[in-house]
Amino acid sequence: MALLKVDDLKIHFPIRGGILNRKIDEVRAVDGVSFEVKEGQTYGLVGESGSGKTTTGKAVMGLNSITDGDIYFEDTHLNAKKGKKVDVRKDVQMIFQDPYSSLNPRKRVIDIVAEPFRNYEKMSKSEEKEKVKDLLERVGISKDSLFKYPHEFSGGQRQRIGVARAIALNPKLIIADEPVSALDVSVQAQVLNFLQDIQKDLNLTLLFIAHDLGVIKHMCDRIGIMYQGRLVEEGQKEDIFNNPQHIYTKRLVAAIPDVDPRRREEHQRFRAQVKEEYQQSFYDYFDENGMAYDLRNISDTHKVALPERG
Amino acid sequence: MSNKQTEQELEQTVEETQIEKSPSGMKIFWKEILKDKLAFISLMFLVLTSLGVFGVSLILDQEQIVTVDMFALHQPPSSEFWLGTDYGGRDIFGQLIIGTRNSLAIGFLVTLMSGFIGIVFGVVSGYFGGHVDNVMMRIVDFFMVLPNIMIIIVFVTIVPKYSVWSFSLVMTAFLWMGIARLIRSRALQEKELDYVQASRTLGSSHAKIIFTQVMPNITSLIVVTMTLNLAANIGIESGLSFLGFGFPESTPSLGTLLSYATNPTTLEQRWWIWMPAAILILILMLSVRNVGEALKRAADARQRRA
Repeated sequence: MALLKVDDLKIHFPIRGGILNRKIDEVRAVDGVSFEVKEGQTYGLVGESGSGKTTTGKAVMGLNSITDGDIYFEDTHLNAKKGKKVDVRKDVQMIFQDPYSSLNPRKRVIDIVAEPFRNYEKMSKSEEKEKVKDLLERVGISKDSLFKYPHEFSGGQRQRIGVARAIALNPKLIIADEPVSALDVSVQAQVLNFLQDIQKDLNLTLLFIAHDLGVIKHMCDRIGIMYQGRLVEEGQKEDIFNNPQHIYTKRLVAAIPDVDPRRREEHQRFRAQVKEEYQQSFYDYFDENGMAYDLRNISDTHKVALPERG
Repeated sequence: MSNKQTEQELEQTVEETQIEKSPSGMKIFWKEILKDKLAFISLMFLVLTSLGVFGVSLILDQEQIVTVDMFALHQPPSSEFWLGTDYGGRDIFGQLIIGTRNSLAIGFLVTLMSGFIGIVFGVVSGYFGGHVDNVMMRIVDFFMVLPNIMIIIVFVTIVPKYSVWSFSLVMTAFLWMGIARLIRSRALQEKELDYVQASRTLGSSHAKIIFTQVMPNITSLIVVTMTLNLAANIGIESGLSFLGFGFPESTPSLGTLLSYATNPTTLEQRWWIWMPAAILILILMLSVRNVGEALKRAADARQRRA
């Protein structure tokens, strides 16, 4: 059973202009994306900037309006047109990309982390304080920091405060929107490992959005590659890294730096070869508008956007 | 044993309270004020002046002060009339006290009322954006194109008897738009920051986000605008009275005292009538500004000196 099911999601933003601010065109930020995330799994959404991965994540969270398509969380329809708006914010939480702007600079740590409690649970002040202390301890921040302000922390610590806030209500799904891309490489590993630990502890499902394939390889079980608002390839980690089928995926995988200096030239040759292939066969993989084709199964777990001719 | 336990508990609570203490806004402001001598003197001056004029004016009999006394025309300062008298033989010192009270009261009232309307209007408009913003800003535009000075003057001429309250209300009706626009532009910026979205995901309502998350982040702007507006509003009132469209002579204000200087003889020879009011306006405005600057620094952790 899938915990989260996104079905043919479309998010278009209007471009207004001309006389009377009419809608003259639209940006198809997300255009027909479908995927499923199983419980306990880490699903990685990868793509270049502007490919719509963050927009997809925010749509699940309800922060973007959805043009078309459906999102189901545990069989609850999240964007139903009729009826009461479902509030799944208790079960779905988000970690934001930028730890500097995602914490309110005028709030103390205790106010930031306790915000979900104040909204969803009735607690006395002392109970609340205990809970916040527990959470801070869990993310490895000393409990003396309870009354400090965000600017007194480093980027990695801030991101961990963001995580503490996200796990406060014991959510089932966490959407991590490039949680480490704003951090130093040394701190990235620390935050990633820590995310994996709490994922294990709390049996969390993660929707992990990133552009760094190295990070994705480290974290995810299943991966979806996005390009211009569409998925071009989806599969298990092994499928994507060992057997990339789509030319865009191939190029992404080739772009991962190789740490072995002895193989540098070989790697460079390989990259040049992939680049050439990419330029030559670009039009075989995308339709006349430069859009990816629909996904088709090539094995039980592996889907690729290839043209009809097979 | 039990004694020891309570001692431990006591220690714990002491420790807890020590941790819990994070400096409050007032404390930070106070520190900042103490650090800046000029601001401190200004604040003291403002507080003492306000307390003084409001206190003394309770004792003073306004009727008696504004009554014409034919036997004491144009008296220079003496022990009987500390600051002399005007062409109606009215005591200038008494008028100065009551005038300062009226001017300050109008300044405060107008600033508070226009500030309140402007802030709420602006922050709501900026936060929601889109169509809400569009409609609300057209309302602001409508008020802005009205010739407000003319309307105030017309009001003053047609209403036979007006008080500090009604005068403030009329001024407020035309002075909130600037604040609304300023606050709106900051709110527009502020709502794009991730912490607003984060608050949404954590289940806070729009109202809660506007007033507990966005507002604290624009306090420095609010405080600075409000203080500068306070100085400006005292100025506007004095200006209108100076032109003769403010209070009548029976209700003295700093502006009415200043307007005696339009008479060349008074300007040249009877300095005691207009000079104290002019100096007081100058010092009051400078003081308000100094305090405003200190407040501004206190509101922004990066600018603090203390």
